[in-house]
Amino acid sequence: MQLASRTYEADSIAAVQELYHSNGWTDGLPIVPPTEDAVRACLERVMMTPDQLIGIEPVRGLPIVAEKLAINAVMAGCLPMHFPVVVTAWMAMMREEFLMHGATASTGGCAVLVVINGPIRQEIGALGSFNALGNSDRATAVIGRAIRLCLINLMDVRPGAIDRSTLGHPGKFSYCVAEDEDDPAWPTLAEQRGLPRDASAVTVMAAGAPRQIMNEWTTKPEEFLETFAAEMRANLRHYSIHPGNYALIIPQQLREHLRAAKWGPRDIAAFIHERARIHRREWADVGKGAVVRDRGDSVYPAMQSADQLLVIAAGGPAGGFGAVIPPWLGDKSHAVTLPIGACVDCEPPPSLKGSLP
Amino acid sequence: MPAFGVMTTNFVSAAELMAKVLGMPGYTFAIIDHPVSSASDAMLRERAIVALEQGRGFLLK
Amino acid sequence: MIFRVLDPTPEKTAPLGQKAPRLDTLRGKTVGLISNGKEGSKGFFAHIEDVLRNDYGVANVVLRTKPNYSAPAPAGILGEIKSWDAVISGIGD
Repeated sequence: MQLASRTYEADSIAAVQELYHSNGWTDGLPIVPPTEDAVRACLERVMMTPDQLIGIEPVRGLPIVAEKLAINAVMAGCLPMHFPVVVTAWMAMMREEFLMHGATASTGGCAVLVVINGPIRQEIGALGSFNALGNSDRATAVIGRAIRLCLINLMDVRPGAIDRSTLGHPGKFSYCVAEDEDDPAWPTLAEQRGLPRDASAVTVMAAGAPRQIMNEWTTKPEEFLETFAAEMRANLRHYSIHPGNYALIIPQQLREHLRAAKWGPRDIAAFIHERARIHRREWADVGKGAVVRDRGDSVYPAMQSADQLLVIAAGGPAGGFGAVIPPWLGDKSHAVTLPIGACVDCEPPPSLKGSLP
Repeated sequence: MPAFGVMTTNFVSAAELMAKVLGMPGYTFAIIDHPVSSASDAMLRERAIVALEQGRGFLLK
Repeated sequence: MIFRVLDPTPEKTAPLGQKAPRLDTLRGKTVGLISNGKEGSKGFFAHIEDVLRNDYGVANVVLRTKPNYSAPAPAGILGEIKSWDAVISGIGD
């Protein structure tokens, strides 16, 4: 397998680190040297040629090829078994509705939340249990990191350059969660979004940082889900009033109460859609009185429809905790779900047809 | 056809990078004070005049 | 031990664009304004139009606002450009 990338030689691990850091090719942490063998192994795992076109980034019309994704994945610490998830996540991000350039360049500073579903989780040891939103396991750590390195190196998304994030958040190092699918009666996120349960799939969402809530004082869904809704209302007040995809992370303890009450993701979404909304006049309570104007009675829901809610089962077994993950900015970017191993659609997006050589 | 963009001071480096990335290094911009979102109407008028004074050179011979 | 490692960047630059020919005058011309619609841009472009007409003698000013300020201008707006003499776009803020 002939690779096309330029090669460099360095005489030690330390020299490799300095080469990559000094060129701005890292996230600040040490990288795994991307050797030809390691890159080939990733490409073989997904049965792609180095020059296989993954897609064309719409704003610049830039072709993204498998070899370059593999180099960045290896740098992040990915093994060949992690690479199918990286490729699928990137393909999902390249969909027009994701709006990759806007999402990754914006001052709003979101990161790309990657959710993994299906049998691949067991293959790669992606756990969805303890510390699900932190450093839960090697697979989610390196897959999330690969996404960031691809953005840095393939799209110039560097702080102060294309990345204009004022603050950003720690998810920009790695923001990858595997869903806990132990309960066969609980619809997975992929199923909620229309895929079969036995397909492995990846969902990407342009997302802010997670906000943890706690309610261990009731077993009634309407009560502890109200706590999630309150956190979303706070986001509407404190951050952005625009409706879009929100993700809820619901760990095991709360899911047990939901199962006992026969509530599933659809019921949760319907409830949250109703409860997570504010009046414009509430902005005056949080220092934003200047923009209430004469529209104080206008109602702003967190989501335009219940199906904009992503309900994700993950987290350790104990604790009445949950998390709300808000969108970057309303529905400018739409979450995208793709099955792993689906046919690669290499056609340029309609807006670019005819303008490429 | 002749064109120019208007950027605020805080975004000059972003604009320069995008110009380079899109194959037009050295694409020129009129640069006005930041921020625009909270500027008064009088300030916006002043910045419009400044933008056109800078920009006319990119449109005219 | 020598490490042979690969370049993680695209290594390709975009093909160079070319500058358009300049106008002799703005008097009597049509100028298109492409606004990204962000807060403040409406007032800004209203003043731009006013100054173009009164001080520069521009005959026609067309304002088009992008539906999504984080995305490039859609094909519909780009298609109209050929009927204009010059374009001003903004505001990066």
